[in-house]
Amino acid sequence: MTSLRTRLLAGTVGGMLLLLAVLSLIVYVTIRRALFEQLDAGLEAAAHLFAASIEQDANDVELGIEPEFQDARHETYYQLWGADETVMAKSPLLDSNDLWRIADGVDSPAFANSRAEDGRLLRAIGLRFTPRAADNDGEPPRKTNLKALSLTVARDATELRGQLRFLRWLLLTASAAVTALSLLIAAVVVRHGLLPLNAIAAQIGAIRANDLTARVDATRIPAEIAPIQDRLNDLLSRIEASFQRERRFTADVAHELRTPLAGLRSTIEVTLVRARERQEYQTVLSDCLEIVQNMQAMVSNLLMLARLDTRQIVLRRDRILLADLVDACWRPFCERAEQRQITFESTIPGDLTCLCDPDNLSMVVSNLLANASEYTNDGGGIWAAAHPADGHVELTISNTGCSLSKEQISQVFDCFWRGDSSRKDAGVHCGLGLALVQRLVTALGGSVVAELQAGGLFVVRINIGGCSTDLH
Amino acid sequence: MRLLLIEDYRPLRESLAKGLREASFAVDSTGDGQEGLWYARGNDYDVIILDLMLPGMDGLRILKKVRAEGRQSHVLILTAKDTLDDRVAGLDLGADDYMVKPFAFRELLARVRALVRRSYRTKNPHIEVQDLRIDLANQRVWRGSEEIGLTPREYALLEYLAMRAGQVVSRTDIWEHVYEFNSSASSNVVDVYIGYLRKKIERPDQAPVINTVRGRGYTLGAEP
Repeated sequence: MTSLRTRLLAGTVGGMLLLLAVLSLIVYVTIRRALFEQLDAGLEAAAHLFAASIEQDANDVELGIEPEFQDARHETYYQLWGADETVMAKSPLLDSNDLWRIADGVDSPAFANSRAEDGRLLRAIGLRFTPRAADNDGEPPRKTNLKALSLTVARDATELRGQLRFLRWLLLTASAAVTALSLLIAAVVVRHGLLPLNAIAAQIGAIRANDLTARVDATRIPAEIAPIQDRLNDLLSRIEASFQRERRFTADVAHELRTPLAGLRSTIEVTLVRARERQEYQTVLSDCLEIVQNMQAMVSNLLMLARLDTRQIVLRRDRILLADLVDACWRPFCERAEQRQITFESTIPGDLTCLCDPDNLSMVVSNLLANASEYTNDGGGIWAAAHPADGHVELTISNTGCSLSKEQISQVFDCFWRGDSSRKDAGVHCGLGLALVQRLVTALGGSVVAELQAGGLFVVRINIGGCSTDLH
Repeated sequence: MRLLLIEDYRPLRESLAKGLREASFAVDSTGDGQEGLWYARGNDYDVIILDLMLPGMDGLRILKKVRAEGRQSHVLILTAKDTLDDRVAGLDLGADDYMVKPFAFRELLARVRALVRRSYRTKNPHIEVQDLRIDLANQRVWRGSEEIGLTPREYALLEYLAMRAGQVVSRTDIWEHVYEFNSSASSNVVDVYIGYLRKKIERPDQAPVINTVRGRGYTLGAEP
């Protein structure tokens, strides 16, 4: 895992290290060059001084050696070669040692480093020059036979090397110390800078699944983290709302299952209080079976809802004769409607077809007709109609006897919602039918709306989108 | 004892009414809130068993109206609503007990019996009048050491008289607390059942337990 702290530390300290290295190098090179230039300037001056002190005439070279070259304290050495490379003179300080001959251009002196035989480091300058002619008592010098000589002047550079070594050591030590210190400071700064993250982490860590009302506190949160905090709080709000919906739904399911369970338990317990006739047991068992069937239907509806929510259903596409499908769906409700003198009329054209999943469309229509026959007033009416519209089919199921208000109409597709809590047959219808209709129609690619018309007419209009119609 | 059962889920209503009748209670039952309120107003029920989610009128509204009108019937709320808020709301509106569905029928019976005892300020589930002993919990009756077998209706009559032992109980009171609303019995049915009861519990060699107070009714035990 990438650590923000490690990255920040590595970045700052690495950068610091690089800067220090470059800076140290520049300082070292500059100082080294300055020191050498100083040494070389001294050497050059000495060499020219030496050269100026040499005179020659036709036959001889005359050395007027300065005291500086004789004095051991100055540690300035020289060696002079003639044109034929014979040593013409050398520093008495050299004893038996020799300097080396640096024979370069006449006017441009050349520098070189060397190690003396006793191990000392020397810096030397080589110079080729033609000594001036000896002043022969007022006679002009004769330049014809003047010869070029080679001169090497050297000085001990051990001290300079030592100074440079000390400088290197100083720079390295200082860099190391600065790096270590900056590492320490950066660690403290980064730690302090990341404290809000720890605070947020602690706040998030304190949020428990059973209390999602907690939010990440915005006080003392840096501007960079504020957007994360906002998004996090948004997410928490959404999760809380979703959990609340889930809890309410679970509570509703439990509530709806309790009533038929109570009926089942009570029926069985009351029957078991004493010995009964065979006929009585049969009646009780068929009562229990009816309760169980209703509970099973409810559980199936719930499962269907859950599958629709998680998109686990497979849809077929068949050509369906709509009128036949609606008639088939009405059959189970026919007898009870007749008993209550409810009339049913379908005006769907016999040749109107649509392309849809027959099982799911049947479930939609059955649920709508079940709802209609449940809430229609005795002696009222239920109508089914359909017509093609823009390549879709608009199917309408309407019924009389609706006592809902306009506001309540907007809630009819909610799970477990019942107008006025006025269920006519408690435990049988639990407010899932229309919720299922809405989700099924959506899964079929259509839309559904409910409306209230004059005279208590409840109308559900389904637009089965994505289905082609074919009047033939 | 006469109960009113307001419960809209038919299988539960029917089985409860049956079980309660078999336990010697007179039960009026309905699945509609409005009708339930009408029943509660018309009769002096010992206990009203009330569901909350009802067609016609919500159970809590029925309770509110019943209490506002000063009716003293004990109310047991029987509902699928189980949250703390629901229980508190129900009890604070004047309910005497609260049970959540599903429940054990035996427990419901015991709670109803407890409410009945509270109605008549009797804490002891054993009532003794002379050497007549009544076990209210198990609905058994003894005269001396001999157990007497009674029909549910006879037992209900004796239990009502026993609850009001020492008081004069009118025929109307008996009618209202022992018989159901749609009972087809004639007006002298009370006297007939008193006769049955006397045959079973009176002993010729001992002082009568059930006494007739001319023009006013009956009394169990000595007349006040």
